Amino acid sequence: MAALGVSRSTARELLQPEVLSHLKNLDLVARSVVEGFLIGLHRSPKFGFSQEFAEYRMYNEGDDPRFIDWNVYARSERMYIKRFLGETNSHLMLLLDASASMGFGGPPVTKLRYGQFLAASLAYLASRQHDAVGCMIFDEEVRDYRAPSSRSGKLQSVLHCIDSAEARTGTKFDKTFDKFREQVIRRGLVAVISDFYCDIDRLLDGVRPLAWQGQDVVLFQVLDEQELNPDFKANVLLEDLETGEAVEVAPEFMREAYPGRIRAHIDQLSKAAAGIGADHVLLRTTDSLDQALRNYLLFRQRRQ
Amino acid sequence: MSFLAPLFLIGALAVAMPFWLHRLQTQSSDRKPFSSAMLLETTEQQVHVRKKLRYFVLLALRVALLALLALAFAKPLWTDPDTLPGPGPDGTHLILVDTSASMSREGVFDAALDLARDAIDAAPAGAMLQVLAASHNVREVSRLSADRSAQLAALRTLRTEAARLDFGLAMTAIDRLAESLPAPVMLHFVSDLQDSGLPTRFSDLVSSHVAALKTHVPLAARPRNWSIDGIRPTASGIDVVVNSAGENEMTAIVALTLNGVAAGTRNVRGPGTTTLSFPDLTFATGDNRVRADIVEADDLAIDSSRFEVIRNEPPAPIPLLTANSGGLPVTYLSAALHSDPTSNWRVEPADIGRFDSRTLTRYGWIIIDDAGSIDPELETALTEFVENGGGLLAFAGQRTASAARVPVLGNTIAGASIGLGNDQFLSIGQVDTAHPLLSGTDGWYSVRLSRTIPVEARFDDEVLIRLENDEPFLIERRIGRGRALFVTGGLENQWNDLPVRPVFVTFAVEAARYLSGAEQIERSFAAGAALPLTLVGGTSGQVIDPDGENVLSLADTTRAQRIQLDKTGFYEVYTSQGNYTVAVNPDPRESELMAIAAETLQRWVDTFSGTDPPAGTASFETTTEPVELWHALLFILALVLIAESVLANVYLAPRTSGGSN
Repeated sequence: MAALGVSRSTARELLQPEVLSHLKNLDLVARSVVEGFLIGLHRSPKFGFSQEFAEYRMYNEGDDPRFIDWNVYARSERMYIKRFLGETNSHLMLLLDASASMGFGGPPVTKLRYGQFLAASLAYLASRQHDAVGCMIFDEEVRDYRAPSSRSGKLQSVLHCIDSAEARTGTKFDKTFDKFREQVIRRGLVAVISDFYCDIDRLLDGVRPLAWQGQDVVLFQVLDEQELNPDFKANVLLEDLETGEAVEVAPEFMREAYPGRIRAHIDQLSKAAAGIGADHVLLRTTDSLDQALRNYLLFRQRRQ
Repeated sequence: MSFLAPLFLIGALAVAMPFWLHRLQTQSSDRKPFSSAMLLETTEQQVHVRKKLRYFVLLALRVALLALLALAFAKPLWTDPDTLPGPGPDGTHLILVDTSASMSREGVFDAALDLARDAIDAAPAGAMLQVLAASHNVREVSRLSADRSAQLAALRTLRTEAARLDFGLAMTAIDRLAESLPAPVMLHFVSDLQDSGLPTRFSDLVSSHVAALKTHVPLAARPRNWSIDGIRPTASGIDVVVNSAGENEMTAIVALTLNGVAAGTRNVRGPGTTTLSFPDLTFATGDNRVRADIVEADDLAIDSSRFEVIRNEPPAPIPLLTANSGGLPVTYLSAALHSDPTSNWRVEPADIGRFDSRTLTRYGWIIIDDAGSIDPELETALTEFVENGGGLLAFAGQRTASAARVPVLGNTIAGASIGLGNDQFLSIGQVDTAHPLLSGTDGWYSVRLSRTIPVEARFDDEVLIRLENDEPFLIERRIGRGRALFVTGGLENQWNDLPVRPVFVTFAVEAARYLSGAEQIERSFAAGAALPLTLVGGTSGQVIDPDGENVLSLADTTRAQRIQLDKTGFYEVYTSQGNYTVAVNPDPRESELMAIAAETLQRWVDTFSGTDPPAGTASFETTTEPVELWHALLFILALVLIAESVLANVYLAPRTSGGSN
């Protein structure tokens, strides 16, 4: 992207959470991530990610007036809109878990902040693809909601909603998904960003109806390195951020038994997601964001 | 175990601090937030126990550290149990031998020693034994042991003394001793059991720690004894009081020596008390040594001689400033001071109007019968006299009644003097008997007053006597280095009857001693009494006993002490303040050889019959030297400190350098 004036190596750096953590403006973060991602992304029709003209079609009520070709209108007094390669007119709904457990992690960033980066980047990328983007911030309740829209200015509203999320209280997926089903009727992509510390069966109870509704669901499981490979040298009293329950654990347990347990939990989630046609992506808070964006494009491609 | 400074044990309360710190640590340390506990499992109990144990060891070390510190400061004393006498199956048998003056009667003490030997021999085989001697105090002659030969050897060292034995004091000492002895304690009291040895209170004879009392009384013939009970100076010579005890008529010769020179002999006939006069004796100036001896041999020799020191000094003059040299005040004061043989004062009346104030420096103190007669010039001189350490005793009089203030003292006279009717009198309301001037006086409340001068006491006045209407009667004021006494009543027998009351004599004598600052030196002591030697100028002086031996070593002469007067005769005392002689005689009660009545003795013995022997074994601290333990405690303290530091360092290491991210 010569317009941004950044090299490829610099662009890759911009995808690192450690670098992004120094940026306060989530809009700037999203823009940096996506543009950096696009620089590194080889132009490929496979992903349908192109702004090249494809065809005209009649303007229908509800279409974005920005895409009306006024030149054609001047010549024929009929309104046509341009269609571009890769344009699918999809919906992207971002569900961001803002429970207290998401406040864990770092440095460089907590799981919630990483999730915000991810959500913002996805929103920005979708917006560039002219997709309608909405978001829902939840914990035990739905705290904030933005309906999907591709209207200009809507992206800023979504980014603001994502940015204002703060980690607190516990998590209830079933309530969230019930609310989601009430609000979103059209098919689209549903990206759930959470650490998924929950009962997998109860989670599936919430996700399964979405899949049956025709939504493409991807579960972005965000975990901190300390959760995956904890390193304690002495006995420690660990306090659950959501329930307040304190458990005294030995370093031997955290070194030997715990990694197996968390791995089993992740595998269970992954299998369960595959079972209902959803995708599961595990992300560490230290991972670059391009993997998540690439997954998004893959899902999008699948819908075309 | 005992402690020299047990108050430091309060410091052991500091052990609460490590308990508190460990409690906090348990609650707050290593608490970390974590995203979810759903995959966690409580640590294994084994690990938990190991951690607790480590905490416990560290806590124990810290508690021990503080406890040892407090214990070391408390200076514990330990008595080696190996040196303690074991609990004998037959308890303890104390052999208490009376060594008082009365035991020196012919054959009595030897018989007493035989009885003591018999008591030792008759004691059970396993009994612990100890020989004690009793006269003016009770002392241990042998160590507590089951070794009979050691006790018999100790008996052979016993000698009679000149001192008196009070059974009450002896039993008090025995009771305290028996408290720490293996029970039951059996007391064998070998004594002539004089009736005069009984204490004032019978309860003093009772001991709660002695299980039984057995008396061993040496048999003696009916007493036949001469004793000299007193030597009194008279106007021209000496009177000697001789007492004799016996059933039949008997005669004796009393010989008197004055300063080592025979002063005469007298025949005396008994039984009974006789006073023999030795007139026309010439005394030397200073201390005169008088000795009276019964020439006739009797049962008790020690009381057949008596020693007395008679001080012969010209009486010191006391100026009585008065307007009437032939008045009653002169008569009353002269009679009062003269009537006390221990006082040595002579009243010199002087006309207050013509008194040369420059002569004040010749006197230690003066008397004024009417303070109102003091003119301003004399007041100035008297004030200066008192400020420089002189004494003033002033009475109120007719002229004082018309004055506005008391000269020298300056107290305001509040209005007119009180004059009551013929049948109305004031009495004394309050007397400060704790004051040295009044402590020896008695009879103030019988004094009747018809008139006094109402004087307002100042803040720096000490009101020694108050009237029943709370007005001051006797005021003391310290002025400079001297003292002034003011009596608001008159010295004539008109305003009150104080001059003709017996209390006036003691008051005059005590006032003379108090204002002159002269200390009365006691020159007659009973054997066994203590002679106090005060430290003046870095030396207490030297004392030479009746045998001519120095009582004090050179080192002892540099410290204040009390000399035990064990021998009868004359002791020479040399101090930096002067030299004097004291006479030491047996207590006259030792001459009363009548034994305790059988009923009284039985009652005494019966008090022990119902006493349960105290249980348990106590330490015998008087014979075992305790060992101070604080040195060892400090060593242990250092070891604990090192162990605590090492353990704490090991414990803290992972917490400070490791832990979670």
